[in-house]
Amino acid sequence: MILKAMLSIWMAVIIVAAFLYTEAAVGFPGETSRILFFHVPQAWVATLSFLVSMIASATYLAKRNLKADYLAQSAAELGFLFCVLATVTGSIFAKATWGSFWNWDPRETSIVILLMIYGAYFALRSAVPDPERKRVFAAVYSILAFTTVPFLIFVVPRITASLHPENTMNPTQPGMDPKTLKVFLGSLLAYTGLFVWMLRLKMRILRLEGLKEPRFGDFI
Amino acid sequence: MKGGRWTTQTGSSTYLSEAIAIWLRDLRIEFRTRYAVNAILMFAVTTLVAVSFSIGSFRIEASEKPFLYAVLLWIILVFSALSGLSRSFVKEEEAGTMDALRLSARPQAVFLGKLFFNLTLLGALELIIVPSFILLMKYEIEYPGFFAAMIISGGFGLGAGTTIVAAMIAQASARGALFSALSFPLLLPLMITAIKGCERAAIGMGTAGWAEVKIAVAYVMIMMVVSLFLFPLVWEE
Repeated sequence: MILKAMLSIWMAVIIVAAFLYTEAAVGFPGETSRILFFHVPQAWVATLSFLVSMIASATYLAKRNLKADYLAQSAAELGFLFCVLATVTGSIFAKATWGSFWNWDPRETSIVILLMIYGAYFALRSAVPDPERKRVFAAVYSILAFTTVPFLIFVVPRITASLHPENTMNPTQPGMDPKTLKVFLGSLLAYTGLFVWMLRLKMRILRLEGLKEPRFGDFI
Repeated sequence: MKGGRWTTQTGSSTYLSEAIAIWLRDLRIEFRTRYAVNAILMFAVTTLVAVSFSIGSFRIEASEKPFLYAVLLWIILVFSALSGLSRSFVKEEEAGTMDALRLSARPQAVFLGKLFFNLTLLGALELIIVPSFILLMKYEIEYPGFFAAMIISGGFGLGAGTTIVAAMIAQASARGALFSALSFPLLLPLMITAIKGCERAAIGMGTAGWAEVKIAVAYVMIMMVVSLFLFPLVWEE
């Protein structure tokens, strides 16, 4: 409860700071650079949840622990949500700065593939009637999908050069303004906290739904 | 019964011999029904005819040809493969022979046997479609060796990436649509690589260490190893 309240206050502080405390970065039309504080953490959470889902899937396959499957499913659902959010916000930014909503920039390509993987994951889950088998298949597919990710890192940047702003927007580069960096890191923390909180809620829902899951005999 | 017909084999069959037995059995069944071959080849030929008829060999500017032709060729190959490769496992489910197969061979051997079968189908597909495509579209290729290596390694990749998915969807409902939906995200990195490789082979802008072929071979290796690990989980009841 305390944590939840702290998270909401922190989130509010970050939103206010993102608009009032920091200055808009040079070289971007108007105030568009402020997307950094929202879009990047969303993309980060989308990627993080993909990783969490894969690890939970592997755990499920090793231990056959229901909780691990709930974690894998919840992380996938949240990952999908944040993936959509990152795609939409990024698209709006792309329209404002590069002139069109969609350019097949390498990161746009990889996020589309991520969306497709999540879509396929849910399609698979809904198509297998037997609950035990459904969990195993979903876990296997999650691991399979994760294995192809390294190839995207090698393959996708070869097609076109990225339009993504790197230097002034990347915290590992020296070009970032210290104020921006502070708020950006704060926002990453806020989004990660939000993710953990939503993840726990979703897992509780799944556990309660699992209690009334049909028994073995219902499938014959 | 020593030396008799019903001698039980214990410990004498290897993974490879079991896999080859399953492969040959699938080939024999396929020769009798020709279901998968017909489905895949007819799909591929129809698409090829549609592409060739609507675009022809003069519509696309010569400078654009290497890239656009690579894209068209791989779209034909990938989607033809997706239209029929799931048969390898779906037919077992439909014939009710899944359990017999589970009892008679080890899971990894089943996977390898089905993979060999799918690779045979893909080989037949490429053998027919690629030369026809080159002839119909007047596809000029500077480095035929590199091009052939890209087609072959890409074909192996298609098989390695989809065989385990076929095993999963055979046990699910809504099989046909699900197979494409599940396989496509896994195949996309391979498809992008193969398109790039074929484009470079056609332009002749240097084979540069055969980078695309290496990526495709790495893809095949990784997908095979991961599938071999995961397949028993999917296969066993």
